Amino acid sequence: MDVLLQILVNGLSVGAVYALFALGYTLVFSVLGVINFAHGALFTLGAYLTYLGVGGAVGSNGALAGWALPLALPFPVALLLAGVGCAGANLLVEAVAFRPLRRRHAEPLLYLITSLGAGVVLVNLLQIAFGAEGYALPADALGDLPPMLTLAGARLRSVQLLLLLVCAAVMTVLTLWLERSRGGRALQAVSEDATTARLLGIDSDAMVRLSFALSGLLAGLSGGLVGLSVSIAGPYFGIVYGLKGLGVLVLGGLGSVPGALLGGLVVGLAEAAVPGDLSGLKDAVAFAFLFAILLLRPQGLLGRAPITKV
Amino acid sequence: MSPSPPLLQVQGLSVRYGSVLALDGLDLEVQAGELVALLGANGAGKSTTLRAISRLVPASAGGLFWGGRPLLPLRTEQTVKLGISHCPEGRRVLSRQTVAVNLELGAWLRHDRAGVSEDLDRCYTLFPRLAERRRQLAGNLSGGEQQMLAIARSLMARPTLLLLDEPSLGLAPRLVEEVMGTLADLHRSGLTLLLVEQNAEAALAIADRGLVLEAGRVVLRGSAADLRRDSGLRASYLGS
Ligand SMILES: Nc1ncnc2c1ncn2[C@@H]1O[C@H](COP(=O)(O)OP(=O)(O)OP(=O)(O)O)[C@@H](O)[C@H]1O
Ligand SMILES: [Mg+2]
Repeated sequence: MDVLLQILVNGLSVGAVYALFALGYTLVFSVLGVINFAHGALFTLGAYLTYLGVGGAVGSNGALAGWALPLALPFPVALLLAGVGCAGANLLVEAVAFRPLRRRHAEPLLYLITSLGAGVVLVNLLQIAFGAEGYALPADALGDLPPMLTLAGARLRSVQLLLLLVCAAVMTVLTLWLERSRGGRALQAVSEDATTARLLGIDSDAMVRLSFALSGLLAGLSGGLVGLSVSIAGPYFGIVYGLKGLGVLVLGGLGSVPGALLGGLVVGLAEAAVPGDLSGLKDAVAFAFLFAILLLRPQGLLGRAPITKV
Repeated sequence: MSPSPPLLQVQGLSVRYGSVLALDGLDLEVQAGELVALLGANGAGKSTTLRAISRLVPASAGGLFWGGRPLLPLRTEQTVKLGISHCPEGRRVLSRQTVAVNLELGAWLRHDRAGVSEDLDRCYTLFPRLAERRRQLAGNLSGGEQQMLAIARSLMARPTLLLLDEPSLGLAPRLVEEVMGTLADLHRSGLTLLLVEQNAEAALAIADRGLVLEAGRVVLRGSAADLRRDSGLRASYLGS
C-alpha cells in the first residue's frame, strides 16, 4: 500500500512538470498549429535565471565567471521573475523565428528548423555565459520548510509538494482563463479559425504574442522548479524534458489542455512505476508506453480530429 | 461644393491569387443606407470582392475608400473598428463555443456594455431559435441555425456596413425567405448592406441596386427593378 502511494506521489510530481511542459507547447500549437522547439531551451533559461535570482554565483568556466546578483531574492520571487524573463525571451523567439515565416505563409515544417535553431542559440549562449558545469540551487531556498514531509506513510520532498501545488494552481488559473474570460475565448477563437477571428475584430497577432508569452512563463516556472528539485545538470538539461513534454503533448492530444494534464500525469506515473534498480530504463519505459497508447489512439487520449488551419 | 463621398468606393480594384486574376479592375460604390446586390456565377469574384474590402486579401491594383478615406493600408481588425462587418462564406461559426459566446465575440471591439446586451436581446428577438439554443455549442446547430448565428454575430459589432456572403446558401426555400425578410428589415432600419448572392431572384427582390460580375469584371449594373426585368440576366442566372 505504502509503495503504491509512494509511486503515486513521485509520479504525480514528475508528471506535473511534464504537464506544464506540454501545456506550454499546447498554447502555441493551438494558436499557430506548429510546435515551438525552443521550449526546452526556455525551460533551461528559467532554471538558470532562478539560480541567479536566489543569489547563486556563476562558476569558473563561464564568461560571467564569479558574477552574482548583489542581493539574494526569496525563491518564490526569483521563480516568478524567471518566468517573466522567459516570457520575454519567448516573445523574442516569436519575433525572430516565427513572425517572418508567418508573414510569408511558410510551410509548417520550416518552423521546426527556425525554432530549433533559436533554441540551440539560446542553449549555446547559456553555455558561454555559465559554462558547461552543473549548478544546484541552495538547499535552503525554500526557507524554513523541512526538506522531507511524511504524508499518510509516503515520503515526500517539500519540493515535490511545491511542484504539485504550483502546477495545480497554474493549470486551474489557465483553464479558467481560457474557458471563462473574454481574452481566453478570443484566444480559442483564433485557435479554431484565425480568419473568422480577425473578421470579428480580434487582433490575431496580439493573441499569438500572448500565447508565446504565457507559454514562456510556463517554461520558466517549470525550469526553476525542476532546477530546485533535481539541480541543473548543465545547459542541455532541458532537452530530455523537452522531448518528454513533446511525447506528453502527443499522448494527451495535440491542442487539448486537459489532454496535456492527463498525458503528463500518465507518463509521470509510468516512470515512477519503474523499480529503483531499473531506473536507467525510465525513459525507455516512458516512451514505450507512449508508443503503445498511440498505436491504439493515434489522436491522443483527449485529442480531437484534426482541424484545418487557414 | 463637391457631393459627399460614397460610404464605400471601390476603384479599379484588382486581386490576384498567384497567377489567377480574380478581380480585374472592379468599380463599385455603395451609398449610406443602400442595399446593393453583388451577383454572378461560381468563381466570378464575388467573395474576393468582400475579402478585399475587409482586407483579408491584398489588392494588386486600384483603390478602396471608406467615406473618402483609403482602406487599403488598414488591417482587417481595423476595418471592423471603422464599422465594416463581414459575414463570410460558409458560416464559419466558432463550433466549440456556445451560441452566446459566439455572439459576445461578435462584439469584441465594443466597450459599451449596455449597448451590447441591448443588441444581444435584439438578436434573440430577430432569431428566436438562437435564443432557445443560446447555451448549445454552435457546432451542434443545424446549417440554417448556423447561418442565422453568423448573421447575428456580424450584427453584434453594430456595423455601419454589413458584407454578407451567400446567406441563403444551403437553406430551405422557406428559410431563404425568412433570412431575406430579416435583411430587408435591417435595411429599412437604416443599415447599409452589400449582399453577395447566387440566388439572384431573392437578392434582387430586396435590393435597391445590383451588379453582375463575370470573371472579375462588372458586366451588368442597374436598379434592382431593371435587373429583374433584364432578359440576359434572367437567361444566365435565373434559369428562365
Ligand atoms: N485562395 C485562393 N487561391 C487561388 N485562387 C483562388 C482562391 N480563392 C479564390 N480563387 C479563385 O479566384 C476566383 C474568384 O473566386 P471567388 O471565391 O471570389 O468566387 P465567387 O464569385 O465567390 O464564387 P462562388 O459563388 O463559387 O463562391 C476563382 O477563379 C477562384 O478559383
Ligand atoms: Mg464565393
